[in-house]
Amino acid sequence: MDSYAILKLLWAAILGILFIGLGVMVGMDMGVGTLLRFVGRNDGERRTALNIIGPHWDGNQVWFILGGGAIFAAFPTLYATSFSVFYVVMILLLFSMILRPVAFEYRSKADSRHWRASWDVAFLVSGALPMFIYGAAFGNVLEGVGYHFGWTGQYYQDESFLSYLVNPFAILCGLMSVALSVYQGGVMLMLRSEEPIHGRARRYAMRGGIAAAILFATGGVWISRLNGFRLTDADPGMPANPIQGQHVTVSAGGWLENFQAHPALWLIPLLGVACMLFGTLMVRADRPVLAWWTGVGSWIGTIGTVGTAMFPFLMPSATTPDQSLTIWNSTASAYGLACMLVVAAIFVPIILSYTSWCYYVMRGKVRTADVIHDTHSY
Amino acid sequence: MSIMRLTGLAVALVVSLLFAVFVGDQGPWYFAWVVGTVMIILIAGAGAILLDAQDEQASEREI
Amino acid sequence: MELINPGVVDLSRFQFALTALYHFMFVPLTLGLTFMLAAMETVYVVTGRQIYKDMAQFWGKLFGINFAIGVATGITMEFEFGTNWSMYSRFFGDMFGTPLAIEGLMAFFMESTFVGLMFFGWDRLSRPAHLAVTYLVALGSNLSALWILVANASMNMPEGAHFDPDTMRMQFDSVVKVIFNPDAQAKFVHTSVAGYISAAMFVMGISAFYILRGQHKAFAARSFRMAALFGIISTVAVITLGDVLGRLDYEHQPTKIAAIEGLWHTSKPPFEPWLAFALPDDAKQENHLEIGVPFVLTPLVAHSFDTPITGMTELEEQAGPRIVSGIQALSALRRYGQGHDPADLAQFRAHEADMGFGFLAMRHAPGQDVTAISAAEMDSVVRQTEPDILPNVFVTFWSFRIMVFLSLWFFAVFALSAYVSLKNRLERNRLLLKLCMWSIPLPILATEFGWITAEAGRQPWTVFNRLPTFLSASSHSVGYMIFSLAGFALLYSAFIAAELFLMFKYARLGPDHGAHGAHGSHLTVAHDRKDAFSIVSSLSS
Repeated sequence: MDSYAILKLLWAAILGILFIGLGVMVGMDMGVGTLLRFVGRNDGERRTALNIIGPHWDGNQVWFILGGGAIFAAFPTLYATSFSVFYVVMILLLFSMILRPVAFEYRSKADSRHWRASWDVAFLVSGALPMFIYGAAFGNVLEGVGYHFGWTGQYYQDESFLSYLVNPFAILCGLMSVALSVYQGGVMLMLRSEEPIHGRARRYAMRGGIAAAILFATGGVWISRLNGFRLTDADPGMPANPIQGQHVTVSAGGWLENFQAHPALWLIPLLGVACMLFGTLMVRADRPVLAWWTGVGSWIGTIGTVGTAMFPFLMPSATTPDQSLTIWNSTASAYGLACMLVVAAIFVPIILSYTSWCYYVMRGKVRTADVIHDTHSY
Repeated sequence: MSIMRLTGLAVALVVSLLFAVFVGDQGPWYFAWVVGTVMIILIAGAGAILLDAQDEQASEREI
Repeated sequence: MELINPGVVDLSRFQFALTALYHFMFVPLTLGLTFMLAAMETVYVVTGRQIYKDMAQFWGKLFGINFAIGVATGITMEFEFGTNWSMYSRFFGDMFGTPLAIEGLMAFFMESTFVGLMFFGWDRLSRPAHLAVTYLVALGSNLSALWILVANASMNMPEGAHFDPDTMRMQFDSVVKVIFNPDAQAKFVHTSVAGYISAAMFVMGISAFYILRGQHKAFAARSFRMAALFGIISTVAVITLGDVLGRLDYEHQPTKIAAIEGLWHTSKPPFEPWLAFALPDDAKQENHLEIGVPFVLTPLVAHSFDTPITGMTELEEQAGPRIVSGIQALSALRRYGQGHDPADLAQFRAHEADMGFGFLAMRHAPGQDVTAISAAEMDSVVRQTEPDILPNVFVTFWSFRIMVFLSLWFFAVFALSAYVSLKNRLERNRLLLKLCMWSIPLPILATEFGWITAEAGRQPWTVFNRLPTFLSASSHSVGYMIFSLAGFALLYSAFIAAELFLMFKYARLGPDHGAHGAHGSHLTVAHDRKDAFSIVSSLSS
């Protein structure tokens, strides 16, 4: 295997890690946003919940930005095609993502009840909707998307956006993603709050964990009946151009072929379900630290399962399967990938160290009484 | 301890010199930005401290 | 080959301009205010006077209100290349995506993580540590601007990438060339410093408001003076860098500079006047009502007294052969894509430099297919394509002038303010204070027009001389575009209403509001001075 193919594989792995990081960190904040009105019965409690993620949501949201940036730099063709194909959904996602920073900053800066109630609704929408769309996008990609390329590389859309919105399998995936985020958000609230928020968060986290496990298992059965795609011939070191150079076949249950070829891979979905169930038990036992890390395992299992099933596809085309986007044909150039790898190798350790320092500085429980009297708090 | 600090300072000095030489050569405007921004901050700060001094002088004269 | 509906291209451009201009209403303030906060806090850490901490905290609060929308609307920008400029992103993304991703990794992460600490860490960090955090936020936000402008410069002056016929896109080949692109350098400093001006005017204007009302005297006088000094140096820098940018455009984007100066015909040095006023008519290719200053244009643009500057009519004529060559390049490229014949590749290589002009001719080719142009049609296609190389002259001409006139106004206001403030005579110059107050939005306006000059002047290209704008967009339906535009308009209007509401509320409340009173009396100063010495000595020991 040549070095370009290895670079492509490495970046596919990084993409997977970014998706997991996004699920865990952004999902956690989104979960808190979704639960805001349910765990906080009055304004003080809601502000407490917000301030638990207050110092960190901004840093966490960068996972989302970074995900977008990494797809742009490392998989420009995927970025260009997927964001356009899912236009209406992406725009909805954008609307809710840009509502969040403003909601955080503005909600508690004015005293009016209507003002704060409106921003609370903004938190609910901008917490649940992006996670739903995040999951639903995976569902849609698994089912195959309708597009083809012209000779200049311009993509053409072959399906209406409605087929992506009203798609039962995608809705299932979306709900699962919301369930995982509610779990993670609930656990985060448990970690840093006291009664009564703590107890309420615990109840919701348990429900989230169980719902995720059920939806994940249902999705697994469903996927065995979906059309799967299979690359019959392609050179992993090929020039990154989806217009020519590969052949793809489509068959029902095709997404399970990778698992059938290497049965050890079944451990990945197993890890997912096991973590969701074990995590729920840990929440029940009031062990939030363990439950938080188990939540990370759930995301690893989920994203890992999707990635394993689809490998080496990134976004198959249902209408022109031969032009499907794969790890081999939609990456950046070897130079670009290597360059980004060096940059990531330098900056990721730096980022991890200062992020953990920030958590260290801001450690400790957030108390409602403190929040109300602190002029700097959200 | 002081040797440690001295070596630290020496390393910082060498790094900033290398930075100045490389960036000053490749990207003169980037270098100008770094130097200029520091200068603007220092001048603005000095202006404020000058105001403190002016105020103190004025209040002394009143007394 | 079917082209994208021109209506959709226009709507995509409109949406991008709307979201970019909106985003850029908030960014300049972030770029500058962070460094001003750092300057105030530096004085606090050095002198230990409480009033400077109050200043950093109060202006920090206003910064926070502004910062949130800057971040939020920035998210739109990063995703919009994919959602609306699909062909552009595929064609140029290999190189263009890299600075954007580095921006996320290097700058945005830093800025976003530390901004939390900056707001929440006052009681949890030592003074020098908090100061370091503030500097990191400032550095982060400006590094963020750096990478965005590196990316933007590569659209205006593509360097560090070449076209590859096997992948049908520009392939990234030199990160050093991309980062040290002269256009990127000058643009970054120009934009960052324009941000300093916006922040200086903001702080100065609000301080002037307090002085006019006789409130928070010590606080306002210090803020005013720091802002005035900040502003006057920045204005000098912004004008210098503007000249550097004009010089670069003169060398690399002659169409932009000719449009900026409304120069339809090659200039006659040294008399050629610089047009202070004119109404360029794009259809007739001439100016109405010209008012110019003689002898200024040539030294201003070319930095010499005898170099003629090529006019737009002549630039059109010069483009003719490039269009013919570009059509040949594109035809060869298409044949190569079907048969991989080395002869086609050789022909493509011979005309490669003009490929973009071949794309430009697509619109006028029969069936939008350049390979179908017959020898007899060639001449008419070239004639029809020639005027397409020019940007909209009226827009470029006037946005440039508004920016320049405003910068001269800032120079006057800051120079006067700095002088009066240093003389401690602010309270007697009520007119100046009022002017400062009313000038708050002007730097933002100037930066907006700066963006319009740079990007409208880049047209008809997204990647200069490589990829035309009309090919770059995503092939959406008009309905999609109306949906997203309506959403953006609605959401963004709500944002600006909320932002202004809070800005006015907190600016009116003033620094006394909340737990941290800003008395600025000598009592607090004396009280804090002992601490200051211990800080300074702990820093130096």
